[in-house]
Amino acid sequence: MLALLFTRFTLRHWRSSLRQSVLLALILALGVAVYFSVRLANRAAVASFQDFSELITTQSDWVVSSPSGELPESALREVREALGDAPVHLLAVVETTGAKPRDPQHEEEIGTRPTWTIMGVDLVALTNFPATRRNDAAWFSEGPGNFWSVFANPRAVYISAALAEKEHLKPGSEFPLVVNEHVATLTVAGLIPANQAGAQVPETLLLMDLPSLQALAGREGRLDRIECLVQEGPLAAQARVTLREAVEKKGGDRWVVSSPHDRRKAAATMTQAFRLNLTLLSLLALLVGLYLIFQALDGAVVRRREEIGILRSLGVPPRMIQAAWLVEAAALGVVGGVAGGLLGWGGAQVSVRLVSRTVNALYYATSTNGARFEPGEFLLVVALAVVASVLAGWLPARAAAATPPAQLLVRHAAPAGGGKMTRLPWLGLAFWVVGGLLLLAPPLRLEGGGRFPWAGYVAVLCGVFGGGCLGASVLRVLARLLAPAGAWSLPLRLAASHLRRPSGRHGLAAACLLCAVTMTGGMAILVGSFDRTMRGWIDRTFHADLYISSDGAQSASTRNRISPATWQAIVARPEVAEAAPSQFAPVTVNGLSTLLGGVDLGLMHRRVDMAWVQEPRSGDIFDPAKNSTLALCSEAFSERFRLHRGDAVDVPTPAGFKRVTLAGVFADYGNERGSLLVERTHFSRWFGHEQLANLALFVKPGVSPDDLRASLLHDHPGLSVFTNSRLRAEILRIFRQTFSLTYALELIGVIVAVTGLGLTLASVLLERRAELTTLRALGLRHGEMARATAAEGAVLSLAGTGLGLALSLALGWILIFIINKQTFGWTLQFTVPWLQLAAFAALVLASGTTVAFLVGLRSARLPADREE
Amino acid sequence: MTDSDAPILTARDLVKAYEARRVLDGVSFSLRRGERLALTGPSGSGKTTLLNCLGGVDRADSGSLVLEGREVAGLSADELASLRRHRVGTIFQFFHLLPTLTAAENVELPLQLTGVPAGARSGRVARVLDRVGLAHRSHALPSQLSGGEMQRVAIARALVHEPALLLADEPTGNLDSANGDNILALLEGLSEETGTSLVLVTHSPEATRICHRVLRMKDGRMLPEA
Repeated sequence: MLALLFTRFTLRHWRSSLRQSVLLALILALGVAVYFSVRLANRAAVASFQDFSELITTQSDWVVSSPSGELPESALREVREALGDAPVHLLAVVETTGAKPRDPQHEEEIGTRPTWTIMGVDLVALTNFPATRRNDAAWFSEGPGNFWSVFANPRAVYISAALAEKEHLKPGSEFPLVVNEHVATLTVAGLIPANQAGAQVPETLLLMDLPSLQALAGREGRLDRIECLVQEGPLAAQARVTLREAVEKKGGDRWVVSSPHDRRKAAATMTQAFRLNLTLLSLLALLVGLYLIFQALDGAVVRRREEIGILRSLGVPPRMIQAAWLVEAAALGVVGGVAGGLLGWGGAQVSVRLVSRTVNALYYATSTNGARFEPGEFLLVVALAVVASVLAGWLPARAAAATPPAQLLVRHAAPAGGGKMTRLPWLGLAFWVVGGLLLLAPPLRLEGGGRFPWAGYVAVLCGVFGGGCLGASVLRVLARLLAPAGAWSLPLRLAASHLRRPSGRHGLAAACLLCAVTMTGGMAILVGSFDRTMRGWIDRTFHADLYISSDGAQSASTRNRISPATWQAIVARPEVAEAAPSQFAPVTVNGLSTLLGGVDLGLMHRRVDMAWVQEPRSGDIFDPAKNSTLALCSEAFSERFRLHRGDAVDVPTPAGFKRVTLAGVFADYGNERGSLLVERTHFSRWFGHEQLANLALFVKPGVSPDDLRASLLHDHPGLSVFTNSRLRAEILRIFRQTFSLTYALELIGVIVAVTGLGLTLASVLLERRAELTTLRALGLRHGEMARATAAEGAVLSLAGTGLGLALSLALGWILIFIINKQTFGWTLQFTVPWLQLAAFAALVLASGTTVAFLVGLRSARLPADREE
Repeated sequence: MTDSDAPILTARDLVKAYEARRVLDGVSFSLRRGERLALTGPSGSGKTTLLNCLGGVDRADSGSLVLEGREVAGLSADELASLRRHRVGTIFQFFHLLPTLTAAENVELPLQLTGVPAGARSGRVARVLDRVGLAHRSHALPSQLSGGEMQRVAIARALVHEPALLLADEPTGNLDSANGDNILALLEGLSEETGTSLVLVTHSPEATRICHRVLRMKDGRMLPEA
């Protein structure tokens, strides 16, 4: 019977209103597509974290690195000593980054050029690796002359086939690249051969001989890691365990011995919170799609009520009617899921770049440009679409099953419709109480130091659900307020009369609008607060006239530095009054990666108006003579490591662990991993170099910063020099850019909610066919009937928007003080962008009223015969 | 010809078709001021369609319909709406009271539509509700009224603005016989008192008894008068 109902009724209804059916499937497909594309992009971005060495050779068994970020070359000898004469191949690796030189004709924006990874390995050692590569001879055959000529040219570099094709490079070609403060001209030595697995080498990976890269990057005598590969043999498995133990024992806490799996996992956990947040946002798109499916199926039940009544009269049991509607929802899910999966795969090719850009800017270098089609994921997302669609169709299916047989189907008597919960104000209050209690719960601490504010998110849901439950009550109040106006305006009287006892549909429409307005309003408050806090922070922090860094520094993963010779020459220029040099190194503290900075703390104290979360109790931290065991940390560091003023922390350095005591905690919005600041003189002593990450200059009175900038850029084309105003503008631009996806999704939410309002009113009017007939018979004009519906829509919009805006204040508070604080550890100044919210509310009210008017006009124009 | 003899409504050769089927097939008749006319006929004969055309809710495809000397066929949708609100009252089989308005508010509706000031409306509503015997139920919602009471409210609503033409589609079709008789007596009395012309679509022989003339329809045509 189910098949009969599906083929004779469902499919025929779809066919008869083909456009509507296609639109419905497309709506679901779009929701699925957004979710799927973000999911694929996330996977691709994580998968793109590569031990690049894997791409040029086979996977090593373990990697030796240092918690301080770099190993002395002597570590290679020590590892060999630990291994004895065991058949283990070692590959020393240095990595740095670079970027294409900027176009001098254009004002450069930070982060717009891709970051290239330059990997330095001992090419001779590489060729001695076991013959597990696909083509051992490739290294020797691809060069301009022979393999050994590579060693004669310190700028010889192997490139990927992808880059060669894109930039039309071939062996012998030259191309410029900014590394540190230099624009280096590199020569293509050959193409990087594919590894054993045939994996594609990303176009942003370059390969050099180890000593050449150490010289180019100014990192002579230093290594990033040592890759270890146990030679295959009958005892290899056991040897891997014992040898690793031997290396770990030898290194003690100086070394971190990890497997490629550990490293990949660490990268995945590093971005876990970011990806989770993105997935939640993408689920929002799926949810709004479902809401529209619900509305559309609900409307279809109303339209087909007589048909259902006839089927019931003919003996079709209610359970079968319900099943038929669920099958229809499931079929819609299959169609929408398949279409959405394909669309999402296409969308992933775009979104993967957006996700990669963020991962690149905030976490680590990624090289992915596209997302693979994964059949398993595709099937999973289709199944998700089906389940979601069936859930969305559940209430309409129940309403259909509750339709009485035709004999009892009192003509024009409307069923109550769904949304019973929207008429239970006590439930709304209960949701709010639960949400309030949840705010006290701590975040979930993820592996790798990330924090997931689960309770904050659930509290937000409770707040929104609670508001939804109160929607109908608000409608009643508004209807009572509106009632006196009914004496002067018939449309208002009709609207008020309908909302005095709002139906479930009314409540649901108001609830959904409320949800969208709350989310958008809350996000506006978060962004507004962020914006104001950032501007305040920038005003307090950035007081120098010029900010200098390597022009190759285009992302968070940059390794480019300014050499002592260069920055000392700049500082010595007569135009410079004072300079603030900063050194930074990525370090691993308590197993979590963070940033250690060396700055002139005294100068910082004098020149920067620090925003203290916990102010230092004495001035010792600012005195180089007294601060060798003191440090300041950012708020994010304090939150992440759960360390506060007065706590001690062991900082790994090439000179061993240094125990410092936290003297204060400052507000900082630079990164979510947190940072630790020590006096630069100590930093350079511990790390054995004076290479700067950046340099801030204060010019003497009368000196034009613009002139000095021009002069510096002329003298040092490999440097990036920003004036104070330009840097501030860039920081704000990057900050605002990160919210663009959020804005887009929120806008979709509001459009869908307003569309949902239109669909609701269309269903409601369909149920009121008899009333429309009466009104026409009484002499109401089309316009007057439409105005009555518009007034109803306006009140619905007002209820949704009013309560939504009130709730958005609470949501904004939760986003700022719970979710943001727990995720990023940043304290923001709560700011309500009243003007923006008012404009937004006016927009929602106007669109809601307009949509309602159009629906009313359409319904008023239904021919009389179709009304009867 | 006296004023009361002059036709208030004249229909000539009205034709209305839905796809290939002619629902009205050359219907002609006239109605005098104060006259009560019963339209009878089997289901599907076109009675309700004719009533819809008379009330300007639907349009005939061809033919002429003159109400109070004014050709209805050429009127715009807004003009038709204006005609209905000022000159026509309608009573339905299923009452069609607005479920969210009280009895008094339902009755007040046509007055509000015709722009009667709020102060004047309440008195007229009270009077007409009193006339139909429902003054004590003025604040009740339709769901709180019996079928007979609902139809009384519907009659009050149809007459409160003193229309020239009252159209009633099976007004007793959904009532028991006692209530039906009461409603018919009420309609007859009110029509006499106000001089309102009445077109009554009915299957009920009792209903035809309150009418001056009975016209029979079959297959969209008007049968010759007996």
